[in-house]
Amino acid sequence: MRLGVRHTPDLPPDEDRPDAPRPNERETGPHHGRDRGGERRSPRTGLYGRMVARDFARNRSVTVVLVVLMMLSVLLATASTGTLVRLIGASSSLMERADAPHVVQMHAGDYDEQQLERWVEQRSDVAHHQTMLTVGIDGADLSFDGEDQTTSIQQNSLVVPNAERDLLLDLTNEPITQVAPGTIVLPVIYAVQDGLEVGQSVRIDAADGFSKEFSIAGFARDSIMNPAVASSKRLAVSPDDLAEVREHTGEVEYLMEFWLRDPDTQLAGFQKDYLDADMPRVGQMVDSATFRTLTMIGDGMVAAVVILVALLLLVVGALCLRFSFLTAAEQDYREIGVLKAIGVAARDIRRMYLTKYALLAGVASVLGLVGGLALTPLLTRNITQYMGSTSSVWSWLLPILAALAVFGALVLFVVVLLRRFDRISAVTALSAGATGDQSGATRLRLRRSRMPVHLRLGVMDVVGRWPTYLLLFFVFAVSTFIMIVPVNSATTASAPDFIHYMGIGPVDLRVDLDHADDTSSDQFGEAVDQLVADPDVTALATMITTRNATVDSEGNASSLYIENGDHTRLPLIYADGRAPSSGSEIALSLLALNESGRDVGDTLPVEVDGQVRDLAIVGSYQDITRGGKTAKASLPTEGEEVMWYVVGIDLVPDANAAEVSQVYAEQLAPGTIADIDHWREQTLGPTARLLTVAAVVAALVAVSLAVLMTALFTRMLVARDTGQIAIQRAIGADDAGLRRQYLTRMLLVLVLGVIVGTVAANTLGETLFNLMFEVMFGGFEALMQGTSRIDFAVAPTLAYVLLPAVFLVAVTAATVASSRAISAADISSLTTE
Amino acid sequence: MTTATAVLDAHGLTKTFDGHVVLKGLDLQVGDGEFISVMGPSGSGKSTLLYNISGMDTMTAGEVRFEGRDLGALSQKELARLRLTTMGFIFQHVHLLKNLSLLDNVVLPAYLAGLAPRTELDSRAMALMARTGVDELADRDVSEASGGQLQRIGICRALINHPKILLGDEPTGALDSVAAAEIMDILGELNAEGTTIMLVTHDTRVAARTDRVLYMIDGRIVGDRNQGPYTGAGLDQRHAELTEWLMELAG
Repeated sequence: MRLGVRHTPDLPPDEDRPDAPRPNERETGPHHGRDRGGERRSPRTGLYGRMVARDFARNRSVTVVLVVLMMLSVLLATASTGTLVRLIGASSSLMERADAPHVVQMHAGDYDEQQLERWVEQRSDVAHHQTMLTVGIDGADLSFDGEDQTTSIQQNSLVVPNAERDLLLDLTNEPITQVAPGTIVLPVIYAVQDGLEVGQSVRIDAADGFSKEFSIAGFARDSIMNPAVASSKRLAVSPDDLAEVREHTGEVEYLMEFWLRDPDTQLAGFQKDYLDADMPRVGQMVDSATFRTLTMIGDGMVAAVVILVALLLLVVGALCLRFSFLTAAEQDYREIGVLKAIGVAARDIRRMYLTKYALLAGVASVLGLVGGLALTPLLTRNITQYMGSTSSVWSWLLPILAALAVFGALVLFVVVLLRRFDRISAVTALSAGATGDQSGATRLRLRRSRMPVHLRLGVMDVVGRWPTYLLLFFVFAVSTFIMIVPVNSATTASAPDFIHYMGIGPVDLRVDLDHADDTSSDQFGEAVDQLVADPDVTALATMITTRNATVDSEGNASSLYIENGDHTRLPLIYADGRAPSSGSEIALSLLALNESGRDVGDTLPVEVDGQVRDLAIVGSYQDITRGGKTAKASLPTEGEEVMWYVVGIDLVPDANAAEVSQVYAEQLAPGTIADIDHWREQTLGPTARLLTVAAVVAALVAVSLAVLMTALFTRMLVARDTGQIAIQRAIGADDAGLRRQYLTRMLLVLVLGVIVGTVAANTLGETLFNLMFEVMFGGFEALMQGTSRIDFAVAPTLAYVLLPAVFLVAVTAATVASSRAISAADISSLTTE
Repeated sequence: MTTATAVLDAHGLTKTFDGHVVLKGLDLQVGDGEFISVMGPSGSGKSTLLYNISGMDTMTAGEVRFEGRDLGALSQKELARLRLTTMGFIFQHVHLLKNLSLLDNVVLPAYLAGLAPRTELDSRAMALMARTGVDELADRDVSEASGGQLQRIGICRALINHPKILLGDEPTGALDSVAAAEIMDILGELNAEGTTIMLVTHDTRVAARTDRVLYMIDGRIVGDRNQGPYTGAGLDQRHAELTEWLMELAG
């Protein structure tokens, strides 16, 4: 922004300044025609208008960067808000429409129906209760459109759809209460992920030669088993077909479903009473909060990442705003002095700048809002497919409010920045010369350096004008951060060592067997005997998990799953302390420790064999399995309530884990034996895959952000340095050398940014990752409680070599492409003629 | 004027900007060791001539030979090298690099040319600064020197690579008369030692100190006056004669 300095006698002509516009710009700039127009307006408005117009014309690069960043920030804020609103809305609407149960207890095998009914009748908190029969079909017996489902990790069960509650909904969210014989309704995931279509076939084969083919009649949304991360799926058939299949194959499991009168207050009590009353419980118990979390976790995480990126962009946008503002202030330093000297109030000067930036922010916000609203349907396509769409006034209003909030934040930031103008005194501004800019001088000297000249000049420029490069440095650091954190998260979740955080030591095979009845312990005992005798097995750790009574931090009775056995044989890594080595010691998972309100070194009262014992807490460890609240001890298990059995197995080095597990697989059924990588993949696979997708998206966003900012920043820098470039060209520096200077500057800032970003990713990023796990496994009440202490398993080549190399190449290309303007730095701009 | 040992030889030099002809088929020879001033009203093409004969700007038509080399046949890189090693420039507003110290500004072209070890180049720079009386400012920043001092730094920078020719675009234009006279004394000494110098100037007292004065109007050289070397005496007389000549030319 500049006054008509050519008409001000005490100011030097524009050519004196290297940053002055070239003569042709001055004659053809957009302000040219406005001078005459200004005469018709009030003199002051016309003057300010011209100043703003000239500023836009002169600082085109900075203005473009600024508007793009502000727009992106508003766009992402709008899109993420829209996504979250729709996600929550669609999820609630699905749960409501389907009348999802508040508690579901899965139970494999027979049970006493009368006993359950009697217990339920006594409960005043249960509003409704129903039991649903499911028939689990092994993947090997099931094929979709000719495709065998052996390798699928989904557990598919046939059901007859409910008519009143826990409804399956069709793609228009209408209940499916009946399925015609010979047809089947599949979960919507198979349409989305596998591309199955209505009319294609589903076949079930049984070992006895039975075979039945169904025609797909439609797809259903399932309020409790919808997402990929929920590994159970319900396939709806007619009652006759279910009965027919059941005669030949399938494993019967019941879903005991309960609707409570006031789930918010009665849920925890009901769950504890149910277990205490020894009701059927061979399987998992899940509640509506878990359904909701499972339903929302995938899209929720995407929305969370988008919000994070939006926030980071807002910070980058604010920094860019500051940069643009300071550039303008630097150029206008003397003019502001002139304005003050001729008696213009500081308030008027502030208003002029505020108008300019509010205008920019306004334009960016409108564009961002429109873009965000357009982007939302793309982000919510998944949600729409799985849960249907909802249209409420909030899905429009909240994104608009989010855009307004970002706009407000930007304007507020400008108001704060404008205070700086109050400090400019007319006298110092006028005597300081044309600009308030520091010369960029540094203590570094060209003369004392042995570096190549252009390299040295590049380094000196970065050191001398560091505040100018701060924006770019921050962009590089942030880009590195948003690229490396998801990558490290993904490699961590996929790393073999991650097993430590799942509460078990490094074993080759793992046996899991739920305790159903007395035969379970016999079955377990036999398997262990056989494993001990197996020459392929080198070490064995047998664990029996019991449910014991204890107290929580508030002294209320609660129960704890304690894994009993010799924990020193295949030890896991403890976050604090060590493994329990005697019957008087216990180690708690971080989540359980947090819930107990105690620390390592304290004692925990646990009921063992009818007596309360104070066990010394000797260690804590990370466990994200079974809800994350577990314990390890060596307590007697006779007479205790056994929940499940686990055996960790180490094999001789050349043994084939797959073959060994094959041998025991049948004997252990319905228990499972799996090599540990497979088990980890099944348990954590969906999360790891989601993180990988997030990592790829984040890397693309990061590189794009870095490239965009490098390109625009270089252009702006070259535009700003035109005079200095022209001088160097005049004394004989060639363009290649000048480009090397710019490349040195960018790469130096990049290296610094990447270092800081990488350090931040491994410290702050690790903390963020752990917070995510805390919420995922412990809920929001576990947040910031230190219940997750996972160290990043960094893939060094990827994180420290490949990704920075990608950055290096991208930034170099962007710099080279954007520094072409160096050749156009016109030497004739130095002429006085 | 034609000399047998021309440093610079221009024929039919033409330059147009957006259809406007600034130099109109101009012929010029600059002999080795000459001290030339170029005068003329604003817009007559003086600076444009300077930038075109140095290869800084690209001529529209014509031919310029510098020590026999055709500038039009050289690449941008070769032109840059030619300017770096054989030409020195002095500007009205000096145009130093703001982020370098004064000494660094002087050594920069020498480091870029890389024709001698850096320690030798540093010594040469210090010797030049001592000669022009600014050696004590060596470690200062650009903002810490006066206009006259900065112009001396500009001269040191122009001389650091032992140029064949020194080209000046109003080198005394921003200085008071005392500082301008001091700068002209230095340039006179350099010329006496054999450096070819060509200056664009509006100042008749500056032009009066040169051997030869060219007068330009509207993109053409309309007057070429050889007034002989200035020996340090009779400046007023030379000035009066030059002024008379200029008034004749202007009609």
